[in-house]
Amino acid sequence: MNYKENKQVLLALFITMIMMATTVFTYGQTTINPDTVCANATGEQYFVTNTPTSTYQWTITGGGGALQTGQGSNSITVDWGAVSGLYPNAVEVIESNAAGCPGAPVLIDVFVLDLSGNPIGPFCAGDPTTPLVGNPAGGTWTGTGVVANAFQPSTAGVGNYVLTYSMAGCNTTINVIVNNGPVTGPIQHY
Amino acid sequence: MKKLLVILCLFFSLTASSQCISNQSFTIAPLGPYIPGQVVTVNYTLGNFTGINVNWIHAFQINLGAGWTNLTPILAPGNPFGSTGNWLWDLQNTYPSGFNFGPGWRFVNTGNAGWGTSSSGPFTMSFQVTVGQTCTPDNLNISIQVFDDCITGGWSNGNCCIDPQYNIYNGVVQIINPTTSNINHY
Repeated sequence: MNYKENKQVLLALFITMIMMATTVFTYGQTTINPDTVCANATGEQYFVTNTPTSTYQWTITGGGGALQTGQGSNSITVDWGAVSGLYPNAVEVIESNAAGCPGAPVLIDVFVLDLSGNPIGPFCAGDPTTPLVGNPAGGTWTGTGVVANAFQPSTAGVGNYVLTYSMAGCNTTINVIVNNGPVTGPIQHY
Repeated sequence: MKKLLVILCLFFSLTASSQCISNQSFTIAPLGPYIPGQVVTVNYTLGNFTGINVNWIHAFQINLGAGWTNLTPILAPGNPFGSTGNWLWDLQNTYPSGFNFGPGWRFVNTGNAGWGTSSSGPFTMSFQVTVGQTCTPDNLNISIQVFDDCITGGWSNGNCCIDPQYNIYNGVVQIINPTTSNINHY
């Protein structure tokens, strides 16, 4: 490519970037479909770009979801249920303009994520490292004595600990106890 | 003599099928196309009405497509050198001939009922009309029809019966459905 061709390519790239930026600015799309929410989440806010003269009809379907506030406006809050799973088209909005003419429905799927952690322990201070298991798999464990998604009683030491399993912004916890080992006295000879 | 007969035959042939209206004009503001809720003002002038065989003018009917609503008169036609009476805004009137008129202006001759007016114009009038709230591309045609004795039954020497309606606007409601962005979740 000569200098002139390079210049044309750069110009086309620049225009494309401007168009992409304009699209993002106009619609502000940040949520990937399906959207993920935590089980029993409350006050989850959903919104579309507002047109002041429009009204918005929202419908929540499945996932134990219930619309709490904002019906008619461009922004609502939803409380979700406890049952984990993928709920297709769980959130729907239909915009109507000032003349009452509806636009095309806009939908998003919702995955309700219910995390749990398998209980472990109780341990003695010298017990070996035990793997931590979360459901569904793929999350991250944190807390005292946690090393690479496993619990090390010797690192934690004696005590009661709360370990947290996290995934996609959701958390769950388990309690772990590390006890003292028996203290044995010196050997006596009667 | 033969030539005179030919000329007379030609004259009556022409008058029997002639239009009595001429020099029509209009303005419309704003110009189309139109969206729901828009208010449009129409000014219409009939420059001249030639009442062949003493057929007097009776009425101006405003024909509107189904997409229009709230038709409102602003200025009634004048009656220069015409008969005693006035132009009445009327939504509906049934003439002696059975012709069903309306909406528009019809002349009420207070001296001789049912005669219309002897005025030959010019007649200038204006009205407003609003595009209805709709989600479908409804018809927005506007036209004016002029009626005289021939149609109303005010005078039996029929003529001016074929004056065509005068088109002012042809179009449909422009529907702009909203385009909604994707759903976002905070």
